[in-house]
Formats: sequence, C-alpha cells, structure tokens
Amino acid sequence: MTTLYLFVFAQSHDEFRLPELSSVAELNGIPYTLPLKPEDRDPTRPFMVIGLGKEDHAQILARRCILIKFVSVYEFYGQGSTYEELHAANRASRPLWEKFIPDTSFRFLVTSYNHKIPQSRQREVIESFSYMDFLGPINMKNPDITCAVLEEYFDTRGTTRSKHQGDGNFRQVFFGRLIEEGTARNLIVKFDVKKRSYFGNTSMESEISLLMANQTLASPGKIVYDPFMGTGSMAYPTAYFGALVYGSDIDGRQMRGKDKKSPGVIRAATQYGVASRIVDLCTFDVTHNPWRCGELFDAIVTDPPYGVRAGAKRLGRKRELSDRQRQLCEEHRMNPSSDDQPYIPPTRPYELSHLAADLVLLARYLLRPGGRLVFFLPTVTDEYEEVDIYTMLCEGMEVIANSLQDFGSWGRRLVTIRKTTSEKYPSPTFEPIHEPKVDHVPAHKDFREKYFQGFKPKEERGASKDSSTTPV
Amino acid sequence: MVRLITHNLLACHVKDCNTNNFPLEFKDAQIELRETEFNPEFVRGIIPKLEWKALVDTARELGDTTLPLELPEMLDDDFLKNLHHVLLEIHVEDGVMICANCKHVYPISNGIPNMLLAEHEIG
Repeated sequence: MTTLYLFVFAQSHDEFRLPELSSVAELNGIPYTLPLKPEDRDPTRPFMVIGLGKEDHAQILARRCILIKFVSVYEFYGQGSTYEELHAANRASRPLWEKFIPDTSFRFLVTSYNHKIPQSRQREVIESFSYMDFLGPINMKNPDITCAVLEEYFDTRGTTRSKHQGDGNFRQVFFGRLIEEGTARNLIVKFDVKKRSYFGNTSMESEISLLMANQTLASPGKIVYDPFMGTGSMAYPTAYFGALVYGSDIDGRQMRGKDKKSPGVIRAATQYGVASRIVDLCTFDVTHNPWRCGELFDAIVTDPPYGVRAGAKRLGRKRELSDRQRQLCEEHRMNPSSDDQPYIPPTRPYELSHLAADLVLLARYLLRPGGRLVFFLPTVTDEYEEVDIYTMLCEGMEVIANSLQDFGSWGRRLVTIRKTTSEKYPSPTFEPIHEPKVDHVPAHKDFREKYFQGFKPKEERGASKDSSTTPV
Repeated sequence: MVRLITHNLLACHVKDCNTNNFPLEFKDAQIELRETEFNPEFVRGIIPKLEWKALVDTARELGDTTLPLELPEMLDDDFLKNLHHVLLEIHVEDGVMICANCKHVYPISNGIPNMLLAEHEIG
C-alpha cells in the first residue's frame, strides 16, 4: 500500500534533488511515486508529496539524501491553496492520525518558505486544528509526535515590501507529521574542506562531493575509481558510504602533497576513518593506463580538470621535435646522467570535449554492466544545448541525470551515465578519431579559451581560436 | 599500499609490450601489513577478475603461503579470509615493479607506484 509523504528539500541545488532521490532509492530498492501534476513535481519547489510503500523507506531516504532538509519527511495529511481546503483534506486523513488522539504528547510547528509568519497568526493557525482533539500533553522539547504546517510562498526577492506584507497569501499549504529529520546534511559539515587535513585549490566543496558519491550508488562491497584523483575530494564521501576507492592522476604531487611521510590523500582519509578503503593511488596518464582488463569498477566518479584552476594534461608533446632535438633526446636516453632522476615525461594539453568523449569510452570499458559514470562538465550557459551531452555519448552508454549548477555566464553539469550494455568493448585508443557524429560543436569545447575570454558571443570570439582541435 | 589486488590488476602498458607483460615482478619490496575490514561478498565478487596463478606466486614471493595453487571449488570462510588478507592487507610501501618482458621499472614510493611512461614508450 502506498502512503504519501511530504518531503522538504534543502534550499540549494534544486536540479540535483530528483536525481539524488532516484539514486538513493535505486541503491536501497525503494519504489516511489512522484505527484501526477507537473507543477506538483516541479523540482524548484521546496515541498513535494511522494508516495512510498513503507515508513522505513522514508527514513532510509532522509538518512542518505544530502538534499533532504532537517525537517524532512512528513507523513502527509493534506494540502490546499487555502486553510479550508487543507482542513477538509486533513479531516479526510483522520484514519492516519486518530491513533494519536487519546494520550500522545505532541507539538505543532508553523513554518513557511520564502516568508516569515507573524507569531500571532502562528497561534491562530495552530488553534484552527483544534478539531483534531488531541488529548495528550503538549511537549515542546521531547514530544512523541511533531505535526507541522508548512506554507509555501512565491519568491518575492528583490521587491520592496512592508513587514508581513502578503502574509497568508501563500501558494500552497501542507500539513503532516514529522517522521525523520534528514541527518545526511550533517555530513556537509563533517566533510568541510576547510577542516580537512589535506586539500588543494581544486578540491571540491563537500556538499557537491557528497551528491556525487550518492550518484555513484556507493555502498559496501563496491569498487569506485577516480581517474583524475587530484586531492581526492570525491573519494572520501564515496569511501564513507562503504565503497572501496581507486585513484589515479597524471600528477602524483596532487595525491601526495608536500608531507614526505604519508600521502595527503591518505592523511585526509584517515581523518574520516576511511583510509583502509582507499585501495590504492597510482600515478599514470589515463590515456596510457595500465589496467589489465575491463569491467572492473561499479562506478567512476571524477571532476576532470577543465583548464581554469588546472588544465588537463596527457602524455605527449605540444610540438613535434626537430630532427636534431629528437636525436639529442635519443642520445640522452641511452646515456642518462645520474642527476636527472626522477624522469618527468613531457605532457600536452587535453582538450575538454576530447577528454569528455574519451572518458565515456573509458567508462564503457572499465565499468561493469549497469555501472555508472558520474562527472562534472563545465559549459557556457548561453551556448549550452541538450545535444552537447550527446556529442560525447557512445553506444551502450545512457544519460540518466544531468543537473546544472549555475554560476551565471558559465555553469557545470553533473552528468550521470549508466552503462546499459553487457557487451565487451576494447580499451579505447584515446586518439581523436571520434569527432562528433552529429555535426554539432558542444558548448564545452575549448572551455578554457572561452572562460579566459569572458564568454564573449561566438561572433566576437572570431576564428582565431581553433588551436586545440588539431591533434598535436 | 600497492596491495596485491592492485598488483593483480595492473600490467605493463609500454607501447608494443603485449606478451609476458603481466605480472610485474616486485623487487626490494618493503612490506607492511594493515588490517582492513573483511567483506566476504566483495572477495567472492572479485575472484573472476583475478589471475589466480599470478596472485599465488606473488603472495608466496612475499612470504604468504596461505593460498592454494588451484582456486578451490568450495569457497569457505577460512579461504575467503586468507584471500582477503592477501588481496587487501599486504601493502608494498617501497620498492619497484619490473616488467618481465620489456624490463621497464615502475618505482613505488610512499605506497604510490609511478606508472607514467617515457616519451619513447608511448605510441
């Protein structure tokens, strides 16, 4: 039997709410139903009434979803655009709450979104529920049950208004009983980068890394891989949820840090009690990787460098050497002098749209069937089109979520791709042979150049910048 | 780190080094044993991915003889615990890994192997 529950979401990252809910539900095998009317399942609204089979399920979701707020899941008794409608619905829900009438201690909360309700009206609202006839004692500290009235107002930010203006003029009012406070939001503080013993200037903020970890369906017994490990931001929450994590990076210094005794990533993992779940760290270029076989990982999670803080690099040279230089290199290699250890191989830039397409091919090779690739793709807001994502897809890989974090003229999209095929594919060659199948240039192409030119419209940018399309 | 599970999943990837490029041989290996939580499901699930002979040989080389030469048909708890120990609790902290075929030396420092290739080793 389906019971309705009222979900209250945190006031951030609205595009990430439903993908996260869907991932955590899938991970725990929880079936759920969204509201029928499109306006009721608009993810930008803070409240949503979702159907679930069991109260336990509501608890599981509230304990794992980062975006379910502290007053999170309510057993849903009714809603309405006026209090008359709400009370009518609540009276009809009597079978759900009549068991609390005789001797349950309780409290009532009246709260709102985009508005502050004056105290006098809060009291009025509570008194309007007197027909429920709760006989138990009122207890504000430790009640057996908490009932809450939640008014949702339209966004009036940026307009001048007098105190309490528009009070009672809400879009919708909801009523329910608190079942579980969302405890997962506390993890944002736990994984706060500022309190981490090791981080760098490319470290990912904790809330987003937790969301990414949820998108990977991290849980005990799984192996997750980050091919652009850096300072390991995604590894900690992923390992915290029980998965084993592999990390690699072309630049080992990011994973090691300056401390000579133990790698920085391991120190930070130790702080969170998950060091033993970081299986190994390894320095290599993912386009020349030593993985012996495919279908190894349950998920790949990564924040690829896109050229603003750190540029993506791969092995190779920017420019071909002249014959003379080549000869010198050869001679030097045959008779190395003792003081040039360790050898640092030359690298060349790795253009973002190539990297993204390669990453999907690599994931198809390295993921087990059904495994997920979760990564951020930066993009130019004005130029982004839905098809951008499809320029990097390949057979057997399917986009299941694509959520924008908007920074104004640019943004980044958290893309979740599932490997739908169980066919075996060879390791990708990483050569730029997979030029877009469709004749379309995605907005994330040459992102670095666009960023440093301040995202001028295409015409102004001119034809000068096409350098990174030519393979070097 | 460089646990034996990792060692069993990595092969030499120098250009045109395609035969006898696995397993890499440990040399001057500094070993540390570190306890890791035991998850029988994980161990069972990883078995199809392992090269058994390479794993047993490497473990014996490093002084652990608990694994049988042939993968047993019955995967009882004792066996899984031994396998768990070999895969996840033996860490090679320093030393090198050498490719038997092309002799490329992959150094390990502070538990992190450097598997970057030189210019002439990539295509």
